Amino acid sequence: MKKLFYEVKKCLGCKSCEVACAVAHSASGDLFKVFHEEKLSLPRKKVLSSKGNNYPVSCRHCKDPKCVDACMAAALVYDTKSGIVEHIEERCVGCWMCVMVCPYGAIRPNIKSKLPLRCDKCKDKLEPACVKACPTQAVIWQEEEVAR
Amino acid sequence: MKNYLIIGNSAAGISAVEAIRSKDKESKITLLSSEDYPGYCRCLISYFLAGQIKEDKLLYRPESFYKDNNVELFLNKKVSRVDPKKNKVVCEDRTQISYDQLLIATGSSPKFPEIQGIKKKGVFGLRTVKDTKEIDGLLPITRAAAVLGGGLVGLKAAYALKKRGVDVKVVIKSDQVLSQMLDFEAALFVQKRLEENGIDVVLGQDVKEIIGEGDIRAVKLSSGKTFEASLIVVGKGVSPNIDLVKDAEIKTGEGIVTDKLLQTNVPNIYASGDVAETFDITIGKYAVNALWPVAIEQGRIAGANMTGDAINYDGSLGINSIEFFGLPTVSLGIYKKDKADTSLEELKLSDAKSGKYKKLTLRGNLLIGAILVGDIKSSGLFLRLIREKIDISPIKDKLLEENFGFPDLLELIKDKEKIYV
Repeated sequence: MKKLFYEVKKCLGCKSCEVACAVAHSASGDLFKVFHEEKLSLPRKKVLSSKGNNYPVSCRHCKDPKCVDACMAAALVYDTKSGIVEHIEERCVGCWMCVMVCPYGAIRPNIKSKLPLRCDKCKDKLEPACVKACPTQAVIWQEEEVAR
Repeated sequence: MKNYLIIGNSAAGISAVEAIRSKDKESKITLLSSEDYPGYCRCLISYFLAGQIKEDKLLYRPESFYKDNNVELFLNKKVSRVDPKKNKVVCEDRTQISYDQLLIATGSSPKFPEIQGIKKKGVFGLRTVKDTKEIDGLLPITRAAAVLGGGLVGLKAAYALKKRGVDVKVVIKSDQVLSQMLDFEAALFVQKRLEENGIDVVLGQDVKEIIGEGDIRAVKLSSGKTFEASLIVVGKGVSPNIDLVKDAEIKTGEGIVTDKLLQTNVPNIYASGDVAETFDITIGKYAVNALWPVAIEQGRIAGANMTGDAINYDGSLGINSIEFFGLPTVSLGIYKKDKADTSLEELKLSDAKSGKYKKLTLRGNLLIGAILVGDIKSSGLFLRLIREKIDISPIKDKLLEENFGFPDLLELIKDKEKIYV
């Protein structure tokens, strides 16, 4: 199954991936309409810096997902076939247990919507929106096995 | 073929079933529940009471779970004692059930203070679906309610009752809300948010008497004051359900004492969840950490070990996450220190204006506790630093910064990073 990898040396920290992510998860899917939507779509990935390098951070869909264990509402399910931690929004009560246990700090609370912001690998599309959006090809979408 | 018996059908019990079935599809699994409801999300009952979720969202697993996993489930089956010598349990209805491997996951029960009127109709714990439905049934005729205790259950009850249009007063013995999870300063943020939303908080008072002939009419405080309430919810903590082992040679403290494998002192008997006493990695002592995620993890490890694995449990710690009226709050490990205690150091950031409070507690170069109010996004990283006992000295001055994140941990963690190439 395909996963997201990042070539850190290429990442400029331009946050194009963040913008593309927010747009891809908005109601309209249109950059110029996003800001006028009733529910403001927020990015599910964040570019953070440390020691001069930039690192995009988002849900890794761990095989041993701590968030799924911690979810007291059974709103998170790890789908072994797709390799995705599915978030069933109708079940979620916004208790933030998943945020509390994510070892990568990759899930953030959206206090307004009461739903956690987490990468869904743009599951309905062929590839995540952040991949195409990266101007330097620092975001890599490939099979786990071939990764270095 | 083994004969597995699990007492308790909540987080730990269900998680143990899944662990056993992932290794052993054949053996017999019998699951006993003292309740009359299939396994449900216990922590959601206050949301159900609040009217925020429908009853169908309570089920933790689909209705077909027990059939799919070939589990024989007995509801309304309360075990009165365990007989380790004969490898069997005796139930209240006098039936006996034998086992090869036993998991005690009986959970805990609300503590009720011994005050006048506590046995009256209209006084509830908030622990089960049954409690919830009984409270719900009284709401149409309830104008005012009193909540005894300002812990998580008490405040969640108050929140739910308020959402349902009931006037609520929370009576708290100590001088702060959430005294088992927050320090005084953090508690003020939460208290303020509750009060702004119409929940009355009465600090430093005990309820001395529940007044009313037949129906409850009022409660009387230690100050002598009385106020109107026709419904009482008690949130004065829980105690582990250990009665069933009191005559057996199973070692107990506050809960049932377990070793690294979550085994009791009797080799084929395990304990998990709210009933189990495990090593707390932040306080360095055996303790009961009665929390959903802790129970899930323990149930899984105990279940696997019952099939013959030897997985070590890393130990527990107190972890709590809650949101009231848009104010998220997380507490991890040690949340308070004695002023005189110089072995611990606190890093603190407090901003009443933005409603943000962060406090980290360090022992030397190790993080052993955190409180986060308002901004909780880094809580998972703090939990990781605590659990993996990572020397934080290289990043100490970054921990409380707004842009602190996973990249700051990269050089400190043991696992080789794979996604950054």
